[in-house]
Amino acid sequence: MREPVSILDGNTFLVSDRQGDIEPSDDFPAGLFSFDTRFLSAWLLTLDGERLHVLSIDDANSYRNRFFLVPGEPTHYLDAKASVIRSRSIGGGFTEELTVLNHTGREVEFTVRLDMAADFADLFEVKHVRSKQGRSVAAVGERELRFTYRREGFHRETVVSTNDEGAIDETGMTFRIRIGQHGEWTTRLRVAAVIYGARGEDIRATLPLGSHRSVAAIQAEQDDLLDRAPKLSCDSEPLARAYRRSLNDLAALRYESITLGVRLVAAGLPWFMTLFGRDSVFTSLQLLPFLPELVPPTIAILAGLQGSRLDDFRDEEPGKIPHELRYGETAGFEEQPHSPYYGAADSTPLFVILLDEYERWTGDATLVRQLEFQARAALDWLDSYGDLLGTGYIWYQTRNPETGLQNQCWKDSWDSISYRDGRLPGFPRASCETQGYAYDAKLRGARLARTFWNDPAYADRLEREAAALKERFNRDFWLPDREHYALALDPEGHPVDSLSSNIGHLLWSGIVDESRAGRVAEDLLGPRLFSGWGVRTLADDQSRYNPIGYHVGTVWPFDNSIIAWGLWRYGFREEAGRICAAMLAASQHFAGRLPEAFAGYERNLTNYPVQYPTACSPQAWSAGTPLLLLRVMLGLEPQGEHLIIDPAVPEGIGRVELLDIPGRWGHVDALGRSRTPQPPTPNPTP
Amino acid sequence: MTEATERFFESLPARAPAVLRGPLSGIIQFELSAGDRTDNWWVEMKPGWARATRDAGPADATWYSSVDLFDRLTVGAAQGVSAMLRNEGRFTGSVVLFLSFRRFFPDRPGTRDPRDVAREQAGRPG
Repeated sequence: MREPVSILDGNTFLVSDRQGDIEPSDDFPAGLFSFDTRFLSAWLLTLDGERLHVLSIDDANSYRNRFFLVPGEPTHYLDAKASVIRSRSIGGGFTEELTVLNHTGREVEFTVRLDMAADFADLFEVKHVRSKQGRSVAAVGERELRFTYRREGFHRETVVSTNDEGAIDETGMTFRIRIGQHGEWTTRLRVAAVIYGARGEDIRATLPLGSHRSVAAIQAEQDDLLDRAPKLSCDSEPLARAYRRSLNDLAALRYESITLGVRLVAAGLPWFMTLFGRDSVFTSLQLLPFLPELVPPTIAILAGLQGSRLDDFRDEEPGKIPHELRYGETAGFEEQPHSPYYGAADSTPLFVILLDEYERWTGDATLVRQLEFQARAALDWLDSYGDLLGTGYIWYQTRNPETGLQNQCWKDSWDSISYRDGRLPGFPRASCETQGYAYDAKLRGARLARTFWNDPAYADRLEREAAALKERFNRDFWLPDREHYALALDPEGHPVDSLSSNIGHLLWSGIVDESRAGRVAEDLLGPRLFSGWGVRTLADDQSRYNPIGYHVGTVWPFDNSIIAWGLWRYGFREEAGRICAAMLAASQHFAGRLPEAFAGYERNLTNYPVQYPTACSPQAWSAGTPLLLLRVMLGLEPQGEHLIIDPAVPEGIGRVELLDIPGRWGHVDALGRSRTPQPPTPNPTP
Repeated sequence: MTEATERFFESLPARAPAVLRGPLSGIIQFELSAGDRTDNWWVEMKPGWARATRDAGPADATWYSSVDLFDRLTVGAAQGVSAMLRNEGRFTGSVVLFLSFRRFFPDRPGTRDPRDVAREQAGRPG
């Protein structure tokens, strides 16, 4: 498989091959994308008709990279007469500076050609190619090539401009140049991705923060964000690197919503560069102790988009928190339901959990008071539309069989919920972790009602309901023969009896009976679930287990961070530490950037965490994982106006010092140390 | 101006107590066009309270679309965010006001309560 190279700024991103070229690929979605539309589908460089070969790539920054290239096939005797440097940076579109160097002692004539095309594919059409409904035109202008796409009022343009005289045709630009002995020639190409509003101006020109940011502005914002985050000083090089990488990636994934005018964090490159309810809640929970100021826009927008009507196409119901918002053509023309789509059973309780956790860290009572109505509507949803069958659980079943999601829990692929023998249950389904979130949401809602909404009677009611739910859950989901919680209930109310990582989320929610917590921890760290690199999504003795199955055997860093939090909550510090240490060890193999998922192979089988073939990277909740692991290792927990620090740093990590942790207490420092300090593990040789 | 749109605006004061529950206040102007003609409405919203008038005044946000699209919104047949994404409707100014206002738009026509559907199908009438 060819490795893609990408740069991004928020949800504008450029994915190319290792030469810097863009052409159709089965391995990854190549192109320049912005707001779910592909603005460039071809961008192919040749020198005298020849493709180029890469010597090296400088990709230290998320928003800028550089390719060093030579013509012809690389050989042992690489004695290139010329070489090429492509330097590019992202921002509203992208800019490419192309330099050709003549290494000979005489003047040489070169033909530099860039083939270009824009297919304006919606991201959903990149995966499943369809013919476009609208009309595309390519027009040659003065030093520019303009691609236009129109479908009714939907209007997108890609404008490629150059500062040099070149021969421009509808499929690209050609520059015939002469370079003196040992000389060089440089040209600058600017690609603008333009989204037109109803009155013919670029929609983003009117945004308060503006999307056409210069590289300097992007860098300044990233630096500022990193500056405000707590400073980590530690013995463990993998931890230091993962922390740095995570902060950088979270900064890079911030984007401005064109419809909503706020700064949000996109979920993952390339497929999920948009707002997801679930992903943004988990990412917010992970980064609260570090960058709490990123959280209120997310809370506000989820509240603003809360469901208000019944709409089968969008799986919308009053009170429900959205699952996914897209900006492209298929969402606009209602060929896909993401405007927004509400097909998630868990985003609603998770929203209440985040609101409470946010106040506990920051003391921002104003937001909690402002959102009382939305939070109550979310809590009401749990017992009304959420409880489809009226049995006291949250169920899901899409009302949009064509383009809706079958599974509306975090494991949302079609085969993720199965019995241990591999059969798939009918609908509706009630997945176990969603019941845990509902339990936690009710208890947290009770705290908010008592502390901020002046409604103790409502708080009492929520607490009674939570207690009843916990009792019911421990009766209906526990499998006495197998001694673990079922993955879900089927429509008949019978348990779907697989052993899965979801039981770790139950610990996080606190719905697990104390007497059973030990068994849950044993399973999580036992050989069926724990691969050595982390907890697998599905135990390896279940019929549908597949070490490279998206939700049926891979290891998800985000999942593991929540599981570690859950183990800590029930006092299993050593077990939580083992997960932290395993994740950090895995991160070394990805240069500190944990991917969306990696394979569930046994650690001693591969000695290397094998990346899931189409994993997103960077992925927001994977980037958030090292942050949450730090919280778990240092035992950071707000209590009243104070931050409790109760470290339990796993063996081998050594000293961990986190300075200036922001919160309602101002800023405090936390220090932890492994009981048996060891020298940091050396980095693996690449 | 169609009758449906007019009735919709006139219904807002009575519906506001149930719909406008957050602490939000502001005025949205609706600029609705049909051919050469443009009709304007101003809707003032406060917690639990709304008023629609034809009297020109300042606004915190403006919605632009055809009368036809707005008619479809008022009966639940169209949806505002997707209309904005395909550029059939356009909005400037405070987005939260629009997100709050969209709560006045009704269910899609013919939508049944999903609980009734699920319980019938599972043979467990609610």
